[in-house]
Amino acid sequence: MNARGRQEGNAVTQALAQIGLCGLFLLTLLAAVPRSFRYVRETIRQLWFVGAMSLTIIMVCGLFVGMVLMLQLYHVLSIFGGTSASGMVVALSVYRELGPVITALLFAGRAGTSITAEIGLMRATDQIDAMELMAVDPIAYVATPRFLAGVIAMPLLACVFCAMAIFGGHLVGVSWLGIDNGTFWSNMTAEVDVHTDIVNGVLFKSLAFGAVVSLIAVFQGFTTPPTSEGVAYATTRTVVASSIAILALDFVLTAFLM
Amino acid sequence: MALAAVFGYLSRFTTVPSSMTESVRATLDDDVLVRIRGLTTVLGGKTIFDQLDMDIPRGKITAIMGPSGTGKTTLLKHITGQMRADAGEIRVDGRNVAELSREQLYKLREGIGYLFQNSALLTDFDVFENVAFPLRQHTQLPEELIRNLVLLKLQAVGLRGAAPLMPSELSGGMARRVALARAIVFDPMLILYDEPFVGLDPVALNQVLRLISTLNQTLGITSVLVAHELAAVRQIAQHVFLIANGKVVAQGDPKTIADDGSPWTRQFFGGEADGPVPFQYPAGDYAQALGFAGVVK
Repeated sequence: MNARGRQEGNAVTQALAQIGLCGLFLLTLLAAVPRSFRYVRETIRQLWFVGAMSLTIIMVCGLFVGMVLMLQLYHVLSIFGGTSASGMVVALSVYRELGPVITALLFAGRAGTSITAEIGLMRATDQIDAMELMAVDPIAYVATPRFLAGVIAMPLLACVFCAMAIFGGHLVGVSWLGIDNGTFWSNMTAEVDVHTDIVNGVLFKSLAFGAVVSLIAVFQGFTTPPTSEGVAYATTRTVVASSIAILALDFVLTAFLM
Repeated sequence: MALAAVFGYLSRFTTVPSSMTESVRATLDDDVLVRIRGLTTVLGGKTIFDQLDMDIPRGKITAIMGPSGTGKTTLLKHITGQMRADAGEIRVDGRNVAELSREQLYKLREGIGYLFQNSALLTDFDVFENVAFPLRQHTQLPEELIRNLVLLKLQAVGLRGAAPLMPSELSGGMARRVALARAIVFDPMLILYDEPFVGLDPVALNQVLRLISTLNQTLGITSVLVAHELAAVRQIAQHVFLIANGKVVAQGDPKTIADDGSPWTRQFFGGEADGPVPFQYPAGDYAQALGFAGVVK
């Protein structure tokens, strides 16, 4: 085997090893969940940081996604005289795909990176070791609350994103382009199914995305080399790995849930 | 309820587990708090410890010295159970660290204070909360008692007035004193200091030096000091181990150890650039590396 082949082989082996380690880390996290119940306040604090503090970016992005989606759909559907269906199409697109996926990507960029950087710096400054030596389990105190906060926050953020996107679509479609308000809402309520589109589309997907992004963020933080360069790389890896995982998982979930 | 919590807190320092065997009790009774036998550690193919034996006396200040990279911090990590050895046995207060379960190890660590070189204060919390952290995690003490205990410890290190400050507002010396207050908040039986004097100005160094000595005398704590500063060590330590090449190469009274005549002590305490610890890191032939092989005879 030539040198390039060996390098590619090593890269694949390392990637598989990382996935395996991440799986083991997930088991450790889940095993620590009962122990982390005594740190409920820490979980609530993290919920504030990863959830409430992400609201602004989620709301603004949701609004603009809904607005631009309505604009595009209106122009395409007007060719076929179907502009009255644009509200419904906006809703279905947002509930089934754009809402959970874009929220997860934004969540990875905003909250995932901050979780990785924070834990990485805690490692670099020996704070994690200090906890271990004070007989405080860092998995239960640091990792699990952040993981749980991410899992809880994601579906809530996805709901906010969807609501803002529908509002943006209404703003452009009804207030600006002149679609009838009654038609906009009635088509939407007639076609949107609570189980298929809201429960499976928004809630279930975003719950899975929240778990994956939080797991990757916490895992990268805990396994980063305790150096400034290591933290920088880990933060980048969180965004890259989360983005790929979100899109790949979205395909798998869509295929099973449709 | 509050009274029960207080008694629970106090009992942790007085009760001896009934499951202790006679041999363990015998170990408890003797003068050695940390007993290391045949410790062997290999990291990345490099032997860090090679059948190392060491007895750390109870209630005294013991310094561990040696050239950089000889594994002094690794030794502390073995004592606290953060790292497992490839072979050998470490007994702390009679308990074999390698055989302890996670819960037992955490219980042991509650009796060990550890002072990191960079203090390792929790950056989200202020000074007060940093010192209160172990108490909040391991006791159900009423808030008023926690407050009094924290202020007591901060007063002991001279930083009661700094209680509301954040770690980022502290100087290096102050941060180390806060970390020391946190390390003694449970009145531990053993404190491990990992290079406590590094980066301190003479005033801060003397303050830390005095604190270590005072805590040892007044609380009867066993102190293990990893340090390079012989002058500082001579002032407070009662016993010194010099480790190199994975073994204890010299030990004894800090005032006389430098005069034992061995090449190790001569180089280390004399500050000689070359000796048993070579100036040159092991490398291949110099002429060959420069491309002069065969040209230079």
